Amino acid sequence: MAPEMELALAARAENIAIVRHALGGFGEAFGVPEPKLSDIRLAVTEACANVVVHAYPEGHEGPMEVTASMHGNELTVLVRDWGRGIRPRSDSPGLGLGLSMIAALAEQLQLGHDSDEHTEVRMTFALSGDAASTNGWHA
Amino acid sequence: MNGLAADERERATDNVTRVRVANGPLVGPVLWRVVSMVLARADWSVERLDDALLVCDALCAHAPAYATDGRLAFSVQADEYKAELRVLELTADGATGLVRDAMLPVVGNVLERIADSVSVEPEERGEGSQLVLVLKGPSANA
Repeated sequence: MAPEMELALAARAENIAIVRHALGGFGEAFGVPEPKLSDIRLAVTEACANVVVHAYPEGHEGPMEVTASMHGNELTVLVRDWGRGIRPRSDSPGLGLGLSMIAALAEQLQLGHDSDEHTEVRMTFALSGDAASTNGWHA
Repeated sequence: MNGLAADERERATDNVTRVRVANGPLVGPVLWRVVSMVLARADWSVERLDDALLVCDALCAHAPAYATDGRLAFSVQADEYKAELRVLELTADGATGLVRDAMLPVVGNVLERIADSVSVEPEERGEGSQLVLVLKGPSANA
C-alpha cells in the first residue's frame, strides 16, 4: 500500500525544515500528540541531516525522499537516498550521535537498502490509540 | 513502495519540492506547511505568502474531486521573483475542472484573481493533466 505522504526534494540542509513542517501537518491530520510528534520530528531531522552530510560526496548533490505511513497505531517514516550508503567515516563532521538518538526516540530502527540498493533508514513510532483514528482515518 | 517515479527523483536535485499525499484531510495541513516553508525561505512577504495560502485553500477544496489513484501530488519551487505551484497527476479534465470550480459569486475565479498565471498542461505520461500556477514574488518588479 502506498504511503500516506511522500516527499521528494534535494538533499540540502535548508530543505530539512520542509520535511519537519510536512510532518507537522501529517501529525495534525492524524491527531498525533505534540510530545510524540516532537520526538518524531527530531528523529526524522537527524535522519535527513545524515543524508545531507553523508550520503553524497563533497560538491555533489542528490535527492532525498521521505515517506510516512500509518499502520494501525504505528507510524513508519522512511528516509531514503541515492548516495553511497551508511558506513563509518573517520572524517565525519558530526558528533556521531544521530543514529543513537534516532534509536532512542523510535520504537524500531532499521538501516538498510531497498531492492534497488538505495539507502534507507526506516523508523517506526508507536502512537496512542487516539491518534490515527481522528479525522476519520482508518489506516 | 509505489513511490515517486525515477525521473522525479532525479529532478529532486533542482530544488523543486514534490509531495504526494493521500486524498483527504491530510492534503490541506501538508500542502499549507510545505508551501509556507518554501516561500518563507525565499523571503516572501507575509501578505504575498497569505495570497499563496489562499490559492492552497482553493486547491484543497476542489482538487480532491480530480485526484487519481487516491492521491494528490504537488510540486512547488520559489525564489524571490516567482513561485510555481503545480497540481500534478489530475484526471484528463481535472486541471480545467479545478479552475472552473474555483469560481466564487461576486469574487470571481479565486485562482485567476490571485495567481499571476494559470495554465493547464498535459501530464508527461498518460492522459492526465496538470494545473500550473505562477505567483510573482517580492522582487518580481525590482
